[in-house]
Amino acid sequence: MEMIKIINLHKSYGDLEVIKGIDLDIKSGEVVCIIGPSGSGKSTVLRCINRLETPTSGRIIVDGKDIMDPDTDINHVRTEAGMVFQQFNLFPHMTVLNNVTLGPVKVRKMLRSDADKLGLELLEKVGLADKARSYPDQLSGGQKQRVAIARALSLKPKVILFDEPTSALDPELVGEVLEVMRQLASEGMTMVVVTHEMGFAKDVADRVIFIDSGVIQEDNNPGDFFSNPKNPRLRDFLGKVA
Amino acid sequence: MEFHFDWSVFFESIPMLMRGVKFTIVITLGGLSLGFFLGAFIGLMKLARHAFPRSAAITYIEAIRGTPMLVQAMFLYYGVPMALGIRIPPLTAGIIIIAVNSGAYIAEIVRGAVQSIDPGQTEAGRSIGLTRSQTMLYIVWPQAFKRMIPPLGNQFIISLKDTSLLMVIGVGELLRTGQEIVAVNFKAFEVYLAVAVVYLAMTLSIAKGLRMVENHLDMKTTR
Repeated sequence: MEMIKIINLHKSYGDLEVIKGIDLDIKSGEVVCIIGPSGSGKSTVLRCINRLETPTSGRIIVDGKDIMDPDTDINHVRTEAGMVFQQFNLFPHMTVLNNVTLGPVKVRKMLRSDADKLGLELLEKVGLADKARSYPDQLSGGQKQRVAIARALSLKPKVILFDEPTSALDPELVGEVLEVMRQLASEGMTMVVVTHEMGFAKDVADRVIFIDSGVIQEDNNPGDFFSNPKNPRLRDFLGKVA
Repeated sequence: MEFHFDWSVFFESIPMLMRGVKFTIVITLGGLSLGFFLGAFIGLMKLARHAFPRSAAITYIEAIRGTPMLVQAMFLYYGVPMALGIRIPPLTAGIIIIAVNSGAYIAEIVRGAVQSIDPGQTEAGRSIGLTRSQTMLYIVWPQAFKRMIPPLGNQFIISLKDTSLLMVIGVGELLRTGQEIVAVNFKAFEVYLAVAVVYLAMTLSIAKGLRMVENHLDMKTTR
């Protein structure tokens, strides 16, 4: 079953066309990694999926709902497609627990006590139950990103969009975040991950996609993607980063 | 005639000035409370998606900031009643003028503070399914409000001093009370000095109170 279907997506900023016609299907339970040089449009594609960016043209269907349809409740779609940001974007004025329970309480109208129980379970899952009463500023980058993952999980989404989740982290903190992401993947979560972590893509992804100059240059299983790339630009890119 | 500073006049005038202080405080607090709601509303209007509320907000802010408060006071108290055929009591007029005037400056404080919050905060709020207004209410506003406190305190002091201009519409505030005392005893030096000292005592108290609020907030959260 298709969780996300992108049809002929275009996105321009003024005269600058960033996405030049992208088609992509992502099945339920699939882990898809998107790699590519900076400025290639890979994050923009991801941000179009939950309409943080509005596509210029094309269609995006998330869990059967056309996000460009004016009748679609975009806030509901966003609860089905959680997002983890490069800069974490935790709410600094709330405790870690309240960061995780805000969605359940305000969007799902869950009782505070039920939300707290759910929040603590999710913090337990990312290994941070002991930080529930802390504020984000008291955490390391890796811990912040794990809280952000718990927050994204708080609405029980069907898919999680990761926008370069480890790019802002010190190298020694990358591992703990990838570990949580591996665990999610093994539990069958549908994940779309824009990343520079080739090791993660190789080990965890079902498919790896290379975007350059606003189009998909290669869409392949990780084995062939890394060991037998067909696209010359991808070969060039892998030669530079590996 | 040789000038001789009369301490007793200075000290005796201070209790008499308290009658005016009462009005100054009522007008400042009343005007600023209304001015804050007005300013928050206009400030958020200036950030609206649609052009109409934005240009309405800009027109209001420019009109108020570009004209002297003294003129605004004369216009509201003497001008508007002629056009509408109503009479506005001086105290009410004073509160309205402070509200309307401070509202324009507070609108800019609110707009600046809201805009200073990282757009990533809004994106994170929207990404968990919060509506635009929920995101403002629970995420952006609480963070922005903290940044508003120092400039709001500044506006508090400015508005308190501006109430002295309301003597022209006959509000019995501090400066006018001083003027009335001088009209009787002709001791302008002592009485106006006392008036200045009382204003200073009030503004210094606000500044001190403000520092306490800021320290309290700093202790409550780390940012």
